[in-house]
Amino acid sequence: MILVREISKSYARIRAVRGISFAVEPGEIVGLLGPNGAGKSTTMRIITGFLRPDQGSVEIDGFDTHADSLAARQRIGYLPESAPLYPEMSVRGYLDHRARLFSLDRTQRIKAINTALDRCNITDVARRRIGQLSKGYRQRVGLAAAMLHDPKVLILDEPSNGLDPSQIRQTRSLVRELAESRTMIVSSHILPEVERLATRLVVIAGGQVRADDQLDTLLTTRGTRQILAEIKPPTTTTTTTTQSASKLLAAIRGITAIVHADTPDGWLALTLSVDPSAPDPRPEIARRLTASGFTLRELREVRPTLERVFADLIESPATPTPTPSPTTA
Amino acid sequence: MTATLIPTLTIARRELASMFRLPVGWVVIALFLVLTASVVALSIQPGAPASLRGFFTLSAWLLMPVAPAVSMRLLAEERRTGTDEMLLTSPVSVLGVVVGKFLGAWFFLLCMLVPTLVYPVLLVAISDPRPDLGPMVSGYILLLLQGTLYLAIGTAVSSMTSNQTLAYLATLFPILALLLAGSLASESLPEVLRPIHDALQISRRAGDFARGIIDTGHVVFFLAASAWCLALAHAGLEWRKWR
Repeated sequence: MILVREISKSYARIRAVRGISFAVEPGEIVGLLGPNGAGKSTTMRIITGFLRPDQGSVEIDGFDTHADSLAARQRIGYLPESAPLYPEMSVRGYLDHRARLFSLDRTQRIKAINTALDRCNITDVARRRIGQLSKGYRQRVGLAAAMLHDPKVLILDEPSNGLDPSQIRQTRSLVRELAESRTMIVSSHILPEVERLATRLVVIAGGQVRADDQLDTLLTTRGTRQILAEIKPPTTTTTTTTQSASKLLAAIRGITAIVHADTPDGWLALTLSVDPSAPDPRPEIARRLTASGFTLRELREVRPTLERVFADLIESPATPTPTPSPTTA
Repeated sequence: MTATLIPTLTIARRELASMFRLPVGWVVIALFLVLTASVVALSIQPGAPASLRGFFTLSAWLLMPVAPAVSMRLLAEERRTGTDEMLLTSPVSVLGVVVGKFLGAWFFLLCMLVPTLVYPVLLVAISDPRPDLGPMVSGYILLLLQGTLYLAIGTAVSSMTSNQTLAYLATLFPILALLLAGSLASESLPEVLRPIHDALQISRRAGDFARGIIDTGHVVFFLAASAWCLALAHAGLEWRKWR
């Protein structure tokens, strides 16, 4: 598991990371989200041992990244953003070099390299020089290098960077497969990508954790709850319809705002914002509308998007977010 | 081999191989061999005992631009391209990285010098009277020691920048200063600096080696100074973790 305890890091006068804490359990894929300059990369670099925190500590599978640095690093597979590689080396040569760095013996190396080439779908370019490969291939070589020594922990910074849609799907499926027996942190700017991969999200902004929760919980508790209704009036003008429908629904407990728009086929679409703590208002909405002679075509709850939740979180003022206390390893 | 040594040698192996994957490695060796072979050929005089004095003098001067060219990319290139992030998150100690990088460059120096062993063999075979082997052995030892020190200076400089040009120049100047220190009269310096000036005079030490004298004090100087530079490189990389 990964245990991050109150880490802080400053660059000159800039406080990049301020007291970040979280824990990642085995088999869990945690998505690390945040705008540019939020402190994501610094956090990942501290977790991998590339940077030392000014304060706090990180444990990888029970090994402190400072005190037991080599043991901790032996357990980490890391793919930095833009997958830095040696362009003059062949793909197989590079993977062999990485395997040797992790002290794999000859038999282990051959097996690990062939498995990684196969799983990352890069066997066809194994003899090619890395400098001649496309960005997508280079990214997959980086991923192959990260998983080569069968690490317990995988830290992937933008794993689908530079990949085409088909490769993104393959990588996503590979990452999910790898996560079954590992602890994983994935950072990405592509929110739908994180939504598909991660089971839990840690949102960082301004060097602090703004939210740390299961994806579903985050979407339901942090997102604005909305209900969409499409209606048609009995026989009146549009203005009357809008006014009467709004008046009718605004009185229902929990409805905080109503936005209306005409659909192309002449129906009226109402988007109702609902207080998350209020009971489901849909039965009451349906009852009132039908009782007033409205024809109801559609009535459904709109699932909040991660993009919206993310925007709300990073735009909201920084407050000390209660993060789950990491349990001792 | 211990688990610590394998990654260090892996880094050295990659470093050496990368020098031969680029044309510059082959060009440097070829130029070095052409120049030194010319000097050796010109130094052979009928009836006179053959000597490699000219070869050793030229090689010592050639090391001055060659060593920084070899060492400038060692750690600076890793930092510029971001591959240091992969390297320093591998289970290799910072010291292992520094030593591995240095060894890669040192093996390149060895690859450059090994073909020149043909010269003494040739001279022994064709020269009459036979050349004195003592200065030849000590000359090679001096070249290796000088090369070791220059590369260690270069490794230290390379750990502190991502700019290869800067790394080259910042390595060249200390080497030049060490070589020219001998021409600066000790008397013109303040009393406190005189022992340091005397100790740093590479030309004086080289003179002893040229006469075939292998002074342990000189050997220890080169090795200790090289170790000190590698310790600086280690500190340079460690500092980056805390920066």
